[in-house]
Amino acid sequence: MSARPPRFNQQVLIDTTPLPDSIPKVQEIGSSSAPLLSASYFIGARCKAYNDDYMLCKDQSNGKGEMECLKEGRKVTRCASSVLEDVNKSCLEEFRKHWECLDNNNQQLWQCRRWERPLNKCVFDNLKLEKTIPGVPEGETPVHMQKRQIFAHSIASQ
Amino acid sequence: MGVPFEALIPYAICLGMFGVSGAALSKIRHMQNGGKRPRHSVDQWDRQMMDRDRRLTGFLRGQTDSVKAPAGFELSNAWRLEKAIV
Repeated sequence: MSARPPRFNQQVLIDTTPLPDSIPKVQEIGSSSAPLLSASYFIGARCKAYNDDYMLCKDQSNGKGEMECLKEGRKVTRCASSVLEDVNKSCLEEFRKHWECLDNNNQQLWQCRRWERPLNKCVFDNLKLEKTIPGVPEGETPVHMQKRQIFAHSIASQ
Repeated sequence: MGVPFEALIPYAICLGMFGVSGAALSKIRHMQNGGKRPRHSVDQWDRQMMDRDRRLTGFLRGQTDSVKAPAGFELSNAWRLEKAIV
């Protein structure tokens, strides 16, 4: 019954018992949704191995992944926070503009390509991380490199 | 005969009142969302991320790009409880 989301929740319980000391501690990521979405492809470019490891562990653990895959999860968190730290150090202005645009536009990436291009260029120059969309058919330009975004609200934001 | 503009004044008043109420509602929605456009088509993933934003910043639409989470963030995720139906 623990899998059903609570539909009639009348109260919340915040359990402040920390994890036991036998589990190593990792610093949680402090970025909220828009900066994470903006940096997500760069996190994927650098941390692909750790992310795939974690997903494979959760997939194979038959429901017990929360406890058994803590080690892989720590690796994922550390790698993602290293990417965020590097982006903050080298490309802060473009990064901030991009995620502020995303926040204003319902977290839709196609509305904010105008600010995404300088961010991609800056991250590629400084951190050597490139955004690639997996599964693009042969011969087609990926959607983030196309000149015209067909669903964007205005020409100004493309 | 010119255009009888006195007869069109009520239409202008109706249009103006529609415009005023629309603008006021839009301004209220803007202010409620922290100076940003409101979110639409919010699914469970978006609700979960917005709840995480609230735990990180205190506001549902607040954003921050710090690398380290504030102290106590690991423990602030709440259990939702419902009374058991016996």
